[in-house]
Amino acid sequence: MAVIERIVNWARIKSPWIIHFNSGACNGCDIEILASLTPTFDLERFGILLKGTPRHADVLMCSGPVTRQTKDRLIRIYEQMPEPKFVVAVGTCACSGGVFDGCYNVCGGIDTVIPVSAYIPGCTASPHAIIDGVVKLLGSLKKK
Amino acid sequence: MDRVVIPIGPQHPALKEPESFRVTLEGEKIKEVSLRLGYNHRGIEKACEARTYMQNIYLLERVCGICSHSHSTCYVQAVEDLAGVEVPKRALYIRTIVGELERLHSHLLWLGVAGHEIGFDTLFMYSWRDREIVMDLFAKITGNRVNYGINTIGGVRRDISKEDQKEILIAVDKLEERTKYYIKVATQEVTLIKRLSNVGKLSHADIESFGAVGPVARASGVDRDIRRDDPYAAYDEISFKVITDNNEDVYGRTLVRVGELMESYSIIRQAIKNMPDGPITVKVPRKIPEGESISRYEAPRGEDVHYVKSNGSDIPERVKLRAPTLANIKAVLKMLENYNLADLPIIVAAIDPCFSCTDRAISITKLDTGRSEIMDWKSLREYSIEWYKKRGIRF
Amino acid sequence: MNIEEEVQQELIKSFNFLDGKIRISRIRRIFFEMPVDKLEEVLEFLMDKIHFNILCTITGLDEGITIGILYHLTRKDGVIINLKISIPKDNPKIKTITNYFPGAEYYERELVDLLGAEVEGLPEGPRYPLPDGWPEGQYPLRKDWKSDMLGKESK
Repeated sequence: MAVIERIVNWARIKSPWIIHFNSGACNGCDIEILASLTPTFDLERFGILLKGTPRHADVLMCSGPVTRQTKDRLIRIYEQMPEPKFVVAVGTCACSGGVFDGCYNVCGGIDTVIPVSAYIPGCTASPHAIIDGVVKLLGSLKKK
Repeated sequence: MDRVVIPIGPQHPALKEPESFRVTLEGEKIKEVSLRLGYNHRGIEKACEARTYMQNIYLLERVCGICSHSHSTCYVQAVEDLAGVEVPKRALYIRTIVGELERLHSHLLWLGVAGHEIGFDTLFMYSWRDREIVMDLFAKITGNRVNYGINTIGGVRRDISKEDQKEILIAVDKLEERTKYYIKVATQEVTLIKRLSNVGKLSHADIESFGAVGPVARASGVDRDIRRDDPYAAYDEISFKVITDNNEDVYGRTLVRVGELMESYSIIRQAIKNMPDGPITVKVPRKIPEGESISRYEAPRGEDVHYVKSNGSDIPERVKLRAPTLANIKAVLKMLENYNLADLPIIVAAIDPCFSCTDRAISITKLDTGRSEIMDWKSLREYSIEWYKKRGIRF
Repeated sequence: MNIEEEVQQELIKSFNFLDGKIRISRIRRIFFEMPVDKLEEVLEFLMDKIHFNILCTITGLDEGITIGILYHLTRKDGVIINLKISIPKDNPKIKTITNYFPGAEYYERELVDLLGAEVEGLPEGPRYPLPDGWPEGQYPLRKDWKSDMLGKESK
């Protein structure tokens, strides 16, 4: 890998910027994502920052099964993220549609709409699992 | 003046954005608001008609990740009515304890979110750290932090051991101390009071007319609480106060929630002290006799209503649910009128909405310039915090 | 006589077509069916004379050739009256009750979107809860509707 690429990769691993999107979830996983930022779990010690805009984000953390209303918005947010970008499906609903799979207003898991890099199952996915999943994703970037 | 809608915003400029809030401004004052809901519409009521009564408990818990026990309990109560069974007292007490613990975690969550909306992030970090005490209790007693799965038709699935009860009491003591601190902050921190007072006011009469429920209604003096008025679980054997306030504004809604925390501690202590011995479940046949029933529950956000119609099979004919936030929507739209745009985040947050506000787009039309723009929630919150900083209110 | 029986007697006294139709299913729960054309009269009586002036929600039911609409009303003492009317599915028109209960708007919109009812007098506003672009004439809560009727292109 060229030197520039390695530096950018190092920066990305050291301080990934995250954007969070709820694509029709019950809020359970969203609350656990927010809880990961609070003092007990403190995701920020890994250098992870929660940003508001997709244009600066490396990682999209997505919760919930994709409802018809949110599908276009999800695709747009994904398209606005600069390469290389990674998508983390947080919670069973984001992984596969979960208990809502087959419901008429639900498309399915996140990967029915955009490509997913990491799946964190759980109903809800606990902050421990979220941290584990994100750290594993960062670890896999290191190998590249 | 012509209104020109120019979609500018976080998403692609040329594509139409499905805004949730459409706000029309005159100067800085909100003249009109309309709200497009349905982002979280998953088709749950239809799905209930294809699952057995037991399977629906699992589904309905996931209507909302914050008040999952409320929905699950409200539903099983309706089914138990149809089945004509008497749920053992011990199970009712366990449901009550879990329900009040849920109220604790929900109100602490709200306190943090409200703090975050006005730029008081310390409050967010403190209250969510305290909230973790309740989350640990849930994991210990029920096996999960969220979506506890404690209910079954005819009772509960797990008992609360003597050891668990001791732990709950220790946690409640600790949280009560912390809540006294929050009450101090809420009643003595001048900046907070200034920021929340006289914002989002809605009169008693308006609340009644719109049919608002929960702490929102009680903060405008409406003395209504399903735990007292239409008792369920063990509430007819427990004494507690219904907290109301006459401020009619966001500050009042804050005081009501913090007051309810204190009452919850008392309810939990009574429930543990008086919990009767006995079985925790009663057998209920798979096929539920034909009939209809309606059940209500005082969720942290307000009155939750479930209607169930049975047809003699093991699958319900119809399940209808009305979550508390839906009852408060018309009220919140009225509450926003004539307030500043900068007040929108906290007014909406003060109804403790059960739809995710983290990524909602807001379309703002300015009457005097005719221009329109789209903001996302985060930008609106930042605008609001800056607006108040310029007026001397900063945390 | 307990509270529920008192309410039952009051209703029968003023509306003798309700005699024999009122069912007390348990404490604080009263159910009855009634003809559509008397709805306003009965609602006004319930609200003004016996204080059932809180609307919990409105439930729509697919009853085959009719659509059933249940109005769930309550008052301070916690008693709930569940009042049902039925309208023909091929002409499912009812009048709005938002003039009595402004909060009924979202409940009535659900009847429109999910069951195909036509609510006369419903104020202007966005639909709820289905998304824009939902195909016309498809009412998910009707018993004969299955999600594969949406067609592959809508997904």
